[in-house]
Parts: sequence; C-alpha cells; structure tokens
Amino acid sequence: MNAPPEPSPPAATSSDGPDLGRVQRWMLAVVTHPDGIDEGADAAEARRWIDAGAGQLESVVTRSRRLSASERLAIYGNAYYARLLDCLGEVFPVLRRTLGEDVFNGFAFDYLQACPSRTYTLNHLGREFPDYLRRTRPATQGEAGENDDWAEFLIDLARLEWTIYDVFDGPGMEGGEAMELPDFAAMEQGNWIDLVFRPAPCLRLLEFTYPVNAHFTEVRATDDELNLSFPEPGRHFVAISRRDYIVRRYPLSEAEFLLLGALAEGASLGDALERLLDALGDSVEELKLEESLPRWFQYWSAERCFFTGIEGSVD
Amino acid sequence: MPAPRLGHPDLGFGLGLRTVHFDHILKNRPAVDWFEVISENFMDSRGRPRYILDQIAEIYPVVMHGVSLSIGSTDPLDRDYLQKLKSLAGATGAKWVSDHLCWTGVASLNSHDLLPMPLTEESLRHVAERVGVVQDIMERPFVFENPSTYAGFTGSTLTEWEFLGRLAETTGCGLLLDVNNVYVSSVNHDYDPETYLDAIPPDRVVQIHLAGHTDCDTHIIDTHDKPVIDRVWELYRRAIDRCGRVSTLLEWDASIPPFPELHAEVLKAKSVLGSPGDATTAAAQLAELREKTGDNEPAPLESRTTAPHPLHHSAALVD
Repeated sequence: MNAPPEPSPPAATSSDGPDLGRVQRWMLAVVTHPDGIDEGADAAEARRWIDAGAGQLESVVTRSRRLSASERLAIYGNAYYARLLDCLGEVFPVLRRTLGEDVFNGFAFDYLQACPSRTYTLNHLGREFPDYLRRTRPATQGEAGENDDWAEFLIDLARLEWTIYDVFDGPGMEGGEAMELPDFAAMEQGNWIDLVFRPAPCLRLLEFTYPVNAHFTEVRATDDELNLSFPEPGRHFVAISRRDYIVRRYPLSEAEFLLLGALAEGASLGDALERLLDALGDSVEELKLEESLPRWFQYWSAERCFFTGIEGSVD
Repeated sequence: MPAPRLGHPDLGFGLGLRTVHFDHILKNRPAVDWFEVISENFMDSRGRPRYILDQIAEIYPVVMHGVSLSIGSTDPLDRDYLQKLKSLAGATGAKWVSDHLCWTGVASLNSHDLLPMPLTEESLRHVAERVGVVQDIMERPFVFENPSTYAGFTGSTLTEWEFLGRLAETTGCGLLLDVNNVYVSSVNHDYDPETYLDAIPPDRVVQIHLAGHTDCDTHIIDTHDKPVIDRVWELYRRAIDRCGRVSTLLEWDASIPPFPELHAEVLKAKSVLGSPGDATTAAAQLAELREKTGDNEPAPLESRTTAPHPLHHSAALVD
C-alpha cells in the first residue's frame, strides 16, 4: 500500500473541530506511546496533529460517568501492547519460555516500537524480530562474554521459531508431487552430474552457532519450569520443511547442509558436489561419499519434503 | 425497497470457527447450523488452516468476518487486501462478508485494534464513499458490525445507531448487530441499550453476534472469553422481537472451552427464543435455563491485562 498523503499542518481551531485524518493520527500517536496516554498526549507527534496535552484530553475525548478521557484512552493503549505481545509470544513460544515472560515481553515491547505493524495481517508481526535482536544485541567487548553468548543463542532460537512459523502457513508439498529417487547405479556418470533438483517450496536450511533445535525439542517436551544449563556453542545445521501440514525438523551434518544448500540454489549435482569437496577440503575422505550420497538421497526422497522433482535426463 | 436481510437466509445458530476445534469438527461433524471464520486467518494461508477451512466449507455454510478492512481510516483502502478477501469469499462460497465500523490504523501503521470514529457527518460521508468502493470490488453488499468502544469524541454529532442506520440507507450495506457490543458500549458510554436496539433498521440486520465480556466495574471490555450474561440474552430477545429470526452467532476467542460446551452456549439462544412472548419474559426463562445448567456464577475478573477482541493468529503444528 502506498503511503497516504498527510493532512495539511494544523490550522486554527474551527467550529467543526479537527478533521478525521488529524484525529486518527493524534489518537494512534497517543494510544501507542510506550510511556502511557498522558505522555503520548504531551509528545510532539500527537501535538503535531492536535495540540491538546495531557491536561486537555477532554477537549477531544469525552469522559464517561466513571472514567476520565485519559483512562478511557488507556484501555486502547493497554490493549495495543497486550494484544501484540501475546501475538509475538505465540510465534516465539520457546523463546518466551526460555527468557521468562517478563524478559521476553521487554524485548518484544522494544521491538514493537522499532518495527510496528504495517500490514493488515498479524502473521507478519514477528518477521523482523530475529534481525531486530541481532541489530540490538550487546556489543562484544574483547573476548566473548556471557551476554554475548546468550545473545547469539537467543537470536538463533528466534530464527528457528520464525522459520517454523513461516513454513507452517506458507506454500507446501501437500497435493503436489515429491521427487522420486533416480536409479543412480543404472545411470551413466555423465548423465547424473547434470541433474538439477527442484527444492520443495517449504524447504529452509539453517545454520546455527548453538544447538537451538535440540533446545526447542527439550523445552516443548515439558510443561515444568525450565532448569536450563547454557549449552556449549558449536555449528549446527537444520533443515525445516513441511509434509501433511506438519512442520518437520531435520538435523543435518555439515556436508548434507552444504550439498542441500547448493542443490536448493539450483546447482547441478556435479557442481554441488564440487562445491562440497572444495568446502570440506581434506576432511572429505572421512565422509565416504560413495556410501553417504545414496543414503542421503534415499532419505530425502523418502521424506517427500526436500525436493519436488528432477530436471535433466534420468535415463 | 431492498429485501429483508439483503435477501440472505436465516442460517440458524452458528459458531466462530477456532483452531482448537478443527479436529473435533472434522471428526464428529457436530450439528452446528453454520460457521463464521475470521477472514484474515485464512486469506493468506497456504497451509493447514486453509486446508481445514476448505473441508468445513464443503460441509457447513460459512460466513466471513474480518477485522482489518479499516473502513473508517483516512488511509487509502488496501485493494490487495480486498482482492484476497473477494477470492476467499468465492472459494469458500461465503454467504456474506462482514467487518466492523472502525479504523485499525493510519499513516500506514496498523494497531490491529477496532478503534472508534468520531461520529460526524464528515465521517459518515467518508465511510459511505468507501463502502461503495468496497461493494463495487466485492461485487456484493458488505455487512458492517457495531464494535465495542471504550472512548467517544467531543466532536461527535451523531449517535452510533443513527450513524449505522444512515450508512445502511445510503450505501445499501447490511448490518451485523452485535448485541453484546451494544450492551458493552451502552455501559461504557452511559446510554440505554434498548434505545439503540429500537433505532436500528430491522430489515437491514443480516446477522446477530453474541459473546461474553469482562466487567471491570468502571467499564466493560469485550473479551469474548465467557458465557453470555443474562442481560445480553434479554437484549437478544428484544432484538429478535424487533428484527425477526436472524442468523445468530456466538463468538468465543480466549479461554476457549471444549467444543460441546461452546455449542451448548449458543443453543441457549434457542431456549431464549423457544416460546413466544415479549422481552420481559426472557429473564424468567433464563433463570430457569441457568438453574438447569448450573451456570449461575459470574466469571471472575482476569488478573492479567485484559485484551479486547480481536485476537487472531494460530499456533504452528510442529513434529
């Protein structure tokens, strides 16, 4: 949606009162102010539209028998944050439990001011939250300190939860075709290196610096109060996809992650393997690719949510 | 002269479709007359919510109810949103599509709340013009609900019932009469709810909403998390006496009970309407009904911050 034209600057008070656009801009500025209604009414953004500070709220909003104008507007102000914090908590349930509700709401409250909703749907409300956490993380001072470790862990967890949420209601494999495993053994080598695999629209590949996928599983397994020990850092790789309307999580080895990543970007199997070999260097021999590759492809094919099909000759 | 209810049938007694009841409904196919769906929960869905809705729409009549049209905003109408709304209505065979007399945001910001409008001639012209555009795009009359409101404006020159009546007359739109909202707003704005009901043009009322709310002593918040109170049942009886039988729907959006309990709550409406008589007999009928069901105690106040309707989002299914 294009940005609407702004109303003209405030004019002298007319007998008809302020126009509708000005009242709406004023009210939104007042009820979404993070410090409350009176502070919102006194702030420059609200006074830009209607110059009625906290002491003059009742020149715009009526009082009822039992509530002042400020108290009535506070119902909207409280609801604005309560509703959106609740929504973010549902998108990031494990992060909320990990942090505790108060700390989570503190992060989310700040996020809502930095990234307020600009669309008709609440489904996008959490989209920028992981990046917001990254942008606002505490600065690293010398060696990585405790806060820095926690920050990276929390950012990883937020990325995982947003991806799960996004995949749940996005395009999926249901009703479509899944890849049938080619018979590599029956193919001439010159043919299979040219194969290109079409990735499932719901396939996401994520690299983490903490084991947040295992943490996600652990937290969801219990309703008890969490007694968490801070996990050891380390590179972890996960594929997220969806089959039968259920989001699936697949821990991956680094080699699987690199190969899937190259294939998902559209590289041919030959090019993807070349990139894998370059990336892994000398450690590639430990992989025993001649054994791993058929097993990986068999698994990805059986799961029916990694690839939709193959382009190129499989004869 | 338009046909009563815009020619729409009385669908009977329906329920709001909620995620937690998906499995129960598809497994048991309960004898609910119809379902109302929150448009925004399905219009972008390419996953399980839409898959479930498509199945339910094959079994039950479906009506769409939105919270994001923002008909009163001074921002331009979101035509992408309207096209998606139209597409969903076509795909589900929705009997009608409704939203609220409100604005949800301005200057490209969205509060996701149903914010109140100054009820003025200027507002009426503005909303009526936009209703015309919406109805042209949707190629059908739209239906507008009276929201629960918690604040009014010194500049207002019209009552809400005058505003809605004139809007319906000017644009040909239908009305969704939320009887609980009439009661909530009547307490919050110190007016008589019977006056409101008696002024609404009865032939334009396409649908009625019922819901529970939270009484905060100094005001009432429309929380959709409790049974309907007796006073609202009385007002419902009065509305039906005036409008005739109208499709009636129970909304329940937080602390949602098991489906059978929800279904039993809306079926109380049948008991309220079961025998002919005027509104004064409704209280006696309700007392008898509540004695049978043991539903006598008012629900306690919420301890946490009370967030009014709307709440609309759904949790993901993960392995």
